[in-house]
Amino acid sequence: MKFTYRQEVDTVSEYSSFSAWKSARRSDRLSVIYGLVVVCVVLVSYVLGAFKWLPHDPDAMEIEAMMLPPFSDGYLLGTDFMGRDILTRLILGIQAYFLPGLLAVCLSLGLGSLLGVLAGYRGGRAEAGVTYFSNLIDSLPRMVLMLLVIAAFRPNIFIIMLVFGITTAPTIAMLVKSKVLMLKERNFIESAVALGLSPATIIFKHILWYNCRALLLIQATIGMAEAVLLETSLSYLGFGVQEPTPSWGNMVQAGANYLMQGNFWPSTAPAIAIMLTVLGFHLLGDGLNNIFEWKQSR
Amino acid sequence: MSEQMNKPPLLRIEDLRTYFYSRVKRAFVRSVDGVDLEVMHGETLGIVGESGSGKSVTMLSAMGLVTTTPGVITGKVTFHDESPKDLLEGLDANVKLERREGRIMRVAKDNQLWQKQADRNLKGVRGGKISMIFQNPRAALNPFETVGKQIAEAVRLHTNIKGAAEAKEKAMYWLEQVRIDSPRMRYGNHPYGLSGGMSQRAMIAMALAAEPKMLIADEPTTGLDATIQARIVDLLDDLKARLGMTMVLISHDIGVISRLSDRIAVMYGGRVMETGPAAEVLDEHAEGHPYTRALLSSTPRPENVLASGHLPAIEGEVLDTINVPPGCRFKARCQRINDTVRPHCESQEPELFELGSDRRIRCWLYAPK
Amino acid sequence: MPEPKQEVPILEAPLLEVRDLRKHFATRRGLLSALSREAGSQVIPAIDGVSFDLHENETLGLVGESGCGKTTTGKAILKLHNVTSGTIRYRGADITSQTQAQFRPLRRDIQMIFQDLDAALNPKVRIQDILNEAVRIGEPGADKEAVQRRIYELLDLVNLKKNKLANFPSELSGGEKRRIGIARVLAVRPKLIVADEPTSALDVSIQAQVINLMRDLQAQFGLSYLFISHDLQLVELMSHRVAVMYLGQIVEMGPAKEVAKHPKHPYTSILWASIVEKRSKEIEDGGAAPAWGVFDFERPRGGCRFAPRCPVYAARGKPAICTDSASAPTLQPTGEGRVVACHFPL
Repeated sequence: MKFTYRQEVDTVSEYSSFSAWKSARRSDRLSVIYGLVVVCVVLVSYVLGAFKWLPHDPDAMEIEAMMLPPFSDGYLLGTDFMGRDILTRLILGIQAYFLPGLLAVCLSLGLGSLLGVLAGYRGGRAEAGVTYFSNLIDSLPRMVLMLLVIAAFRPNIFIIMLVFGITTAPTIAMLVKSKVLMLKERNFIESAVALGLSPATIIFKHILWYNCRALLLIQATIGMAEAVLLETSLSYLGFGVQEPTPSWGNMVQAGANYLMQGNFWPSTAPAIAIMLTVLGFHLLGDGLNNIFEWKQSR
Repeated sequence: MSEQMNKPPLLRIEDLRTYFYSRVKRAFVRSVDGVDLEVMHGETLGIVGESGSGKSVTMLSAMGLVTTTPGVITGKVTFHDESPKDLLEGLDANVKLERREGRIMRVAKDNQLWQKQADRNLKGVRGGKISMIFQNPRAALNPFETVGKQIAEAVRLHTNIKGAAEAKEKAMYWLEQVRIDSPRMRYGNHPYGLSGGMSQRAMIAMALAAEPKMLIADEPTTGLDATIQARIVDLLDDLKARLGMTMVLISHDIGVISRLSDRIAVMYGGRVMETGPAAEVLDEHAEGHPYTRALLSSTPRPENVLASGHLPAIEGEVLDTINVPPGCRFKARCQRINDTVRPHCESQEPELFELGSDRRIRCWLYAPK
Repeated sequence: MPEPKQEVPILEAPLLEVRDLRKHFATRRGLLSALSREAGSQVIPAIDGVSFDLHENETLGLVGESGCGKTTTGKAILKLHNVTSGTIRYRGADITSQTQAQFRPLRRDIQMIFQDLDAALNPKVRIQDILNEAVRIGEPGADKEAVQRRIYELLDLVNLKKNKLANFPSELSGGEKRRIGIARVLAVRPKLIVADEPTSALDVSIQAQVINLMRDLQAQFGLSYLFISHDLQLVELMSHRVAVMYLGQIVEMGPAKEVAKHPKHPYTSILWASIVEKRSKEIEDGGAAPAWGVFDFERPRGGCRFAPRCPVYAARGKPAICTDSASAPTLQPTGEGRVVACHFPL
C-alpha cells in the first residue's frame, strides 16, 4: 500500500482546522451526497404526491395503454397491466411509508433516547430496569408480533409503524445508554453538576443535544431504511397497504405475475426504487457516522 | 574510561525524521525533525523534554515501532555492537520526499514494504540486544500469564538458556535482581496481583532477562506514587552500577533525569536543543541553552520562588510541531534573545554549536564568532 | 503578592469544617450475587474519619499517594459523592444533610478544578458557549451584552486571547484548556475552590504559569483553596497548611513549611524524602538516605494503618500498641498548630 501525504501551505493557521466534512474521506463524502440526493427525491416526490401534482391520474385505467414498455410516449416508466402510469404510482407509493415511517422513527428515537439517558445517567435500578425491558422486547420476534397486531386490528400502516417504533426503541436506548456511560467516564457531566447546572440542562443540552445528536441522526436514517423495507415487505405480503392504493410493495407483488411473460418493468421499477432508497438511507447514515462519530481530532 | 571514549558509540542516530499527518489540518506533525544523538558504551543518556518534544517518538522510531503513517521518513540509526549495523538500512527506497524551500511538503511512502524491511533489520536487536520498558507496565505484561513464566519466556527467547528449569532459575534471579519482595511468591503471580511499583519491577526484570546491551526506559516512573517512584529510580541507579548497563532514559521529570543520567539531551519541538554532561547541562549557573535554563528555574522548588511569590514561568505555549516557524524553534518564548542575534534567530535555525569538548548547543548566542 | 503566611490567624469560624467524614464504597458485584443477598459484601473505606478546617483566604494542601482518598474527600465537599457518615459545614450550614436541589445555590460558592484537562469541558461545545453557560449561572438575569462583557473579563483574568472563543476544547493546548477550566469556575464567583491536581497533566513550563495564576487569583478574590496534589514540592509552595493522608485518614497536619522541614509522622518523613531531586542531593552530600518501609504497599491488619510499612515500627521491635486495633492512633496536637496521629512521633 502506498500512501501519499501532502501539505499545501507553509504555515498552518494556529488553531483553525478543516471541518469534519472537508477532512473526511472521499468515499464517505460520496455516500453522504448520494444519500442526500435520495432523501431530496423522496421528499420532493412526497410533496408532489400530497398535492396531487402528478403526471397522470394514478387510478385511470386505459385499455389501449396496457403494459406499455418504459420510455413510451407520455409514460416514462411504462404502464402496468391495468394501463396505469408506473411513474405516477411510484411517486404516490411514497405516501405509504413516508409519514408513518417518519412517525415510527420519531417514536423510536424519542422513547429510546429517554430510556437510554435514564439508564445511563441514573444507573442502578433504572439501568437494570431499562436493560430488562430492552431484552424482553428484543426477545420477541418482530415480524410475528406485527402479524399478530395485524390479525388483532385491521391492516393499518400506522398501527404497524407504532409497533415498529416501540420495538426498535430498545436498540436506540442501548446505544444512548452506552454513549452516556462513555461520556460519564470523561466526567464533564460531573463537572457540569459541580458548576451548578440543573439536571434537565445537563441531560437535554449536554448529553442529548450536544453529544447524542449525531448518533440519533444516524439512527434515524437507518430507521427510515428499515421502515421502507418493513412497509414494502408487508404490502408485498398483502398485510400492508391494499390495492388500489399504490405502495412499492404491492406494486412489486402485482407486477410479479407478469414477469414470466416478459413484462419485467411493472415489478422491476418499484423493486429498483426500493433498493435505491434503502441504499440511500443506509449510505447516508454510514457516511455521517464515519464523518461525525469517528472524526479524529488530529 | 579512555578505552570507552575511543570506542564508537553503541547507538548513533543521524538526521532522524518522523512525521505524522493531520487530516483535519492537512499538514504534517513534525514530531521528530532531524535528530542526531549518540549513546556511548556504558553510559546513561537522559532525554528530557516536554510533551510534543519528540523524545519518546525518537526512540520508538529508532526501534522501528512507529506504525502510524507516514512515520519514519529519513534517518540513519547505527547500532555498533560487534560490528556496525544500520537499523534503518534500505528503508529510504520506500520513501519519496518532495521539498519546497528546504522543507518537506510531500511524502509518498510504501508502508508495508517499509515495515517488512524494518522488521527484518531489527530482528534480534529489538527486544534482544536493545530492550525497552514503558510508562504503563500493566499494559506491557500479558494478563493471562504468570509474571515468572513471561520472564522465563524472555530468557529462552533471547539467551542461550533453552531448558525450562534453567530458564525458571534465571527468571528467579532477575526477579531478585530487581529487588521484588518474596520473588518465589511473585513468580507465580499474575500481573493483576501486583501493585504498580511491583509490575514496573517485573517489567524491568523482563527487559533485563534478555540480557540486552542497551535498555531504553521510556518514562519509567511517570504515573507512580512519589515513594514508589523514588524506589524505582533507586533500583535503576543500583542496576546501572551493578550491571554496567547502557541506558537511554526518557523523561519529562528533571529530577529523575538528573539523578540517573551521565549525559543529557534536551529536546524541544522535535529537535535536540542541547547535549552535554549531566552536571553541566543542569547547572543553573553555568552557560547553557535559554530553554534548559528557563525550564530549570520554572520547576516548583522553594529556591526558585521569586520575591513576589511567583515562579519564573516560561511564557507562551509549548511549540506545536504542526507549525514549525522559520528560524529558532524556541525564539517566541526565549527571554535571552537580544538585538545582536535576533536577525539570526528570526531567519535561520541554529546548528548544534560546539561548546567545549562534549557540549553542543543549538542557539545563536553560542555561535562561533 | 506576599509569601504564603505561615501563621494563619485563627478566625472565629472557619469557612469549611469537615468532621469525621467517612465514605465507604461497596465493591461492584454481579447480578446474581446481588439477588442472593449473600452476607459479607466487601466494603472499601475510601475515606475513614477525616476532619479538618479551612479558613477564608487559606490554602490547605492535601497530599498522599494514589488511593489515599484525597480526591474522594474533595468530591465529597462538592456533594459529588454521597458520604457514608460525618458532617461538612460550609459557613456553619451542614451540607451533608441537604438534598442536591437544596445544595445547588451553594454550588456557586464551592467550585472544583478537575484533574483531567478534557474531562471538565464538553468536547462538542465551543469555548464561547462553555463560558456563556457558566456566566449565566453566576449572573442570573444578566442581559446578553453584560454576559459577553463578563466573558471578556474572565478571559482577561486568565490571560487568554478573545480569538479562542470560537474554538472547540480539542483545539486548545493543555495550558489553554486549564485556563478555560479556571475561567469557567471563576464565572460563578466562588469562595472556595477544590483544586484536584490542577497541574499534573501540564508541562513543567506551563505548570509554573498556572501556579502563578492561581496565586494571583487567590490574592485578588480572597479565595480559599483545597489544593489536592501528589507533588510535594508544589504543595509546600502553594499551601499555608498541609494535611497528609494515608489510606483514608489524615496522619499529620500543620503549617506547610514546618511539616516539610520537620515531619513528625514516619509516613510524612518517607514521603518528603522520596522527592527524587532532594534524595540525589542528600546521597551526594554523603547523608544516609532515609530507610524505606518494608513493602511498596500493604493493607493494614489493625491499629495503625501505616504499621506494616513503618520503619519506626520495625526499628522499635514491632511494639504491640501499633497493631492493637483497640488503640489506633488519633490526631494529637504537638504544638505550633500541628497535629500528628502516631504513637511514636519523630
